[in-house]
Amino acid sequence: MAASDSQAAERAQQNGLTIGIDVGGTFTDVVCIAAGGAQTLAKAASTPADQSEGVVEGLRNLAAALGLDLAALLGRTARIVHGTTVATNALLERKGARIGLLTTAGHRDVIEMREGLKPERYDLRLAAPEPLVPRRLRLGVAERLRPDGSVEVPLDPASLDAAIAALKAGQVEGVAIGFLHSWAAPQHEHAAAAAVAAAMPGAFVTCSADVLPQIKEFERFSTTAVNAYVGPVVSRYLGKLAGRLEQAGYRGPLFVILSHGGVAPVEEAARRAVGTALSGPAGGVAAAVALAAQGLGQDLVTFDMGGTSTDIALVTGGEAALGRGRVVGGERIALESLDIVTLGAGGGSIAHLGPGGTLQVGPRSAGAVPGPACYGLGGAEPTVTDANLVLGYLDAGNFLGGARRLDLAAAEAAVAGLAARLGITPAACAAGIHDLVNARMADGVRLATVRRGVDPRDSALLSFGGAAGLHATAVARELGLRRAAVPLFAAGLSAWGMLHTDLRYELTRSAVTPAGMPADAALRALFDGLEAEGRGRMAGWHGGETAARRSADMRYGEQVFEIAVPLDGIDWAGPDLGAQIRAAFHARHRALFTYDLPEEEVVLVNARLAVVGLLPRHAAAGGAAGEAAAPVAQRRIRLDGAAVMAPVHRFEALAPGQAVAGPAIVESATTTVLLRPGDAARMDARGWLEIAVPPG
Amino acid sequence: MADPTATPGRAPMPDPVTLAVLDNRLRAIVEEMGEAMLRTSYSQILNSSRDFSIALCDADCRLVAQADHIPVHVGAMPWAARAVAEAFAGDIRDGDTFLLNDPYHGGSHLPDLTIIIPVHAEGALRFWSVVRAHQSDIGGATHGGYNPGATEIWQEGLRIPPIRLGEAGSLREDLLRMLATNTRIPRDFRGDLMAMVGAARLGEQRLRPLLARYGADALDAAVSAILDLSEAHARRILATWPDGTWLGEAMLDDDGFDRRDIAIRARVTKRGEGLTVDLSESDPQTKGFVNSSYPNMRSAVAMAFAFLLDPDLAKNDGAFRPLEVIAREGTVVWAREGAPVTMCTSHCSNEIVEAIVRALQHCCPDRAMGGWGRRFRVAITGQDARRPGRRFVWHMFHARPGGGGSSGGDGWSGAGEWHSAGGLKFGSVEMAEARFPLLFETHEFLPGSAGDGQHRGGLGGQLSLRIESEGPAAANTAGDGVRHGAAGMRGGRDGRPHHYRLRHADGTERVLRTKEVGIPVRPGDRLLVEAAGGGGWGPPEARAPEARARDAAEGYV
Repeated sequence: MAASDSQAAERAQQNGLTIGIDVGGTFTDVVCIAAGGAQTLAKAASTPADQSEGVVEGLRNLAAALGLDLAALLGRTARIVHGTTVATNALLERKGARIGLLTTAGHRDVIEMREGLKPERYDLRLAAPEPLVPRRLRLGVAERLRPDGSVEVPLDPASLDAAIAALKAGQVEGVAIGFLHSWAAPQHEHAAAAAVAAAMPGAFVTCSADVLPQIKEFERFSTTAVNAYVGPVVSRYLGKLAGRLEQAGYRGPLFVILSHGGVAPVEEAARRAVGTALSGPAGGVAAAVALAAQGLGQDLVTFDMGGTSTDIALVTGGEAALGRGRVVGGERIALESLDIVTLGAGGGSIAHLGPGGTLQVGPRSAGAVPGPACYGLGGAEPTVTDANLVLGYLDAGNFLGGARRLDLAAAEAAVAGLAARLGITPAACAAGIHDLVNARMADGVRLATVRRGVDPRDSALLSFGGAAGLHATAVARELGLRRAAVPLFAAGLSAWGMLHTDLRYELTRSAVTPAGMPADAALRALFDGLEAEGRGRMAGWHGGETAARRSADMRYGEQVFEIAVPLDGIDWAGPDLGAQIRAAFHARHRALFTYDLPEEEVVLVNARLAVVGLLPRHAAAGGAAGEAAAPVAQRRIRLDGAAVMAPVHRFEALAPGQAVAGPAIVESATTTVLLRPGDAARMDARGWLEIAVPPG
Repeated sequence: MADPTATPGRAPMPDPVTLAVLDNRLRAIVEEMGEAMLRTSYSQILNSSRDFSIALCDADCRLVAQADHIPVHVGAMPWAARAVAEAFAGDIRDGDTFLLNDPYHGGSHLPDLTIIIPVHAEGALRFWSVVRAHQSDIGGATHGGYNPGATEIWQEGLRIPPIRLGEAGSLREDLLRMLATNTRIPRDFRGDLMAMVGAARLGEQRLRPLLARYGADALDAAVSAILDLSEAHARRILATWPDGTWLGEAMLDDDGFDRRDIAIRARVTKRGEGLTVDLSESDPQTKGFVNSSYPNMRSAVAMAFAFLLDPDLAKNDGAFRPLEVIAREGTVVWAREGAPVTMCTSHCSNEIVEAIVRALQHCCPDRAMGGWGRRFRVAITGQDARRPGRRFVWHMFHARPGGGGSSGGDGWSGAGEWHSAGGLKFGSVEMAEARFPLLFETHEFLPGSAGDGQHRGGLGGQLSLRIESEGPAAANTAGDGVRHGAAGMRGGRDGRPHHYRLRHADGTERVLRTKEVGIPVRPGDRLLVEAAGGGGWGPPEARAPEARARDAAEGYV
């Protein structure tokens, strides 16, 4: 990456190290890349009460692995990028701050109304969720704006004071401010924020016009309420982490990976804490984008199968798909986020006889404790991992590089119990669990792709996460994908990905007019203003190269959903700006939905801008072509109803270019890959196993 | 895998793993068809409210799988497939595309078009791929198909009995033109119809590899086994309920003409593992459009059944087998051919559901839920000074009524209408104001609107909406529920009914009726909506003191 003269590049050159830190549910992964491209992975147990403890422990372990002490390691480190689940966990466990909401009088129930929608349409006994802000702390303030930003009712100081008094009495820690049409004119919100800050020093105050200046009050208010809810928690955590790192001798920048897959300085992550809600899984997708750029292919389906769930994301044309419909812990977050689909099945999913009398896998999971039956920690129900062990795909004596011994007899007993209820042999039952989970994964990918207007058959399946390798080529076959890939570095991939993404700042501004679209001059001013603001913000973060990209959310007159229209090829100085943008919309609509309506009114709803600050990368260490490694063992496995002997290869030992034909097993300390008959794998010098999958 | 030694047509029972894989696959296909529909449909009613349904039926027109989009159509699709199978018996080939909307020939009401595509394999019909979607207009006397003044179906719009819209994979352009010409928004009509055909074809495309891989007979056998398992699932649940016969009643306010308090009566008998719903004591059919067609009545009964059983019960023919339905032609739940029926997917569907739940509240009290709100929609049309020369039409599709309380807790506020059960989204106030000459002064919950109970109903909404049209505007209404609120169950109180008013700038007011056309609206008038609350569940005395204290503190009462 050629960010020639930036300070960061200089430091990276001098000091050599960049560090990515991914806090997972069980382990904190710490990945270090040195100037020559050498990669080192260290782990520590995650510490949910205060994630920064596990982070520092992981850094200590990394230092030890490199033969350094912590201070020496940090002294040589140019950049630390961190993925955190603090915001996510606060939402999922409802452990955020006590917050209040100031809003336009007459509209205090927006966040509890949820646009009239309720999940699970056939479950009429489903309890309604507790709103993030209780109704008594949602306080109406006399004020009202029009959609053109004009004032219908001036902000009434007396009503504002009364509301603030109620917030104080309610002892809130955070205050969200959301007034109608603040996307068009933020002055009422800003005035209210100033009054709150003056009256309640120390409170976390956040305005909807700053978090997401975008029309549609539910999306904006909900996102802002989430920001207030997680803001104090995230700020505290990041402050503590930064303090610990500084104490340990670190002087470089600390970046946090955000839900959109880019990174931002720690202060920005704390200010817009809601943007860290998908920080955890973002690293994996960033890694996929980086691998795409390194030659893996422009179109990828990521397949990250963990213990309890599987994350799927799409990379198209080398870029990760983004969406704005994210719901975390039941709360709507309308910020641009990586479009990650989570399926409720993973290696720990329990196979059982469902209420309908058919075999089912998940959504219940054995979790880490007791875990699959084969962990020998008291799990008695068969999981996907148990089935894989019974089928011979996993090595009882060498699971996780020997870190855990698996109890084959326990797995067999668990599977046999279910087999008896189904009236089939244990072997058939194990194969059935494996096949069923493959079919479900394939259905999940199919649905995720059709929902996004993508034909998955042109993509490669990028498999990572501990459990994915055993299922990847079967899922690819089922979907008609011809390629699958498994990175050697599958376990630390998420932390690795954090070191291969850039600074990113997103801006949005609604521009809804009764006429559908602003006039050309207004459009130019709108986007130029966004770009000036965005570049200004980035200049405060970063001295290196930056790039800005414009896009718009648009729709036809009577449609309800907008689509994102990239405006890359637009001639902004041209005389026909509106017509060019309309044409870009029609073309995008055609590409997504097969048709367009040239005669129909076109409405521009939101102008968007992304500013990217390019960060330096270390080149990947190229593996030298060596001797083809012989299999380390032969193992009896069951495939398609028959027992076969399959060679077992050490993943790390495979030489660049070495070919392995299925049936075979490729094992590393962190993942196991099953090659089925017909699969043709080749170790790519760039660090992944490239697998050609025959048609299903 | 098909056993090659098996007799054709009598494939062996598939193994449990294959069965599970196929069960998943068939459900995934209907879901995928639904997504394709959502992505490609044009009109607001489809892409916003998901007012469409997707199903696969087998060669015997048995419902194999249906996607969970909007509950109102559950179980209705086999009637459409059956109507085509009968009308074109012996003359059905791959590549055919059939269409219908006639409520007296397999349809529910005229705005719902149904596309039906046959799928053959190994020389025989195997599946029907079925897509039903609500059109924004279907011709007739009023825009949008809801005509409160209609006294016969011909005033409600264009009737389409089962027709062959095309063959050999292509559609007849002349027929399409004829149909589109009879609607007010031909572009929407064609766009949505194309989306429907596309989704139905996707179903066919996804079935083909399954038929090839497993063999048609094996797939048939698997379908039969899946249906049998769902039947057993439903029966296992029913077996836990006590036997007995109960009568439940629900009331329609009026038919828009001279009839008031029209009763829907459900005599429900639970015996062993079966349930019989007898609606024949319901009141005679009406002059106005609240009558139900036969298929719509069947789907309303199926909807109540699905609500009362388990949410994860498959929506297929097997699950509904324990359900026997008795009704009498000529009653409001089953009108004679020719009567108007357009309102029926809301009313009297909602009342059929409510009558059944009321009957069964004594039989399965923890499953019976308080009544959900009724529908009351308003459409306003006029001129917007900001967009000269363009007529605006603003629809309030969603009345913001409350859902019912249940054993699970208090009802959902503002989410309720039985037939969509939280599946219908209402639009953004900001967007409405940016696009229409409207100012929403108030858009909040209406405290005290919910029916009291151990678990109270959800709150209805209150709106004060100023109309700022250029010159006079006009409003139409369609709905019910201003006399009768959502029913309380097990001693819970009824929710407060709807109450809509139009307040003029001079302070005078008029109450809006639910079935009016051409209500004059002047600039500066306010539409005041007080939406119905949901019904309570369980006696109010049993409500926990903490819950009461919370209601008071939060301002829910």
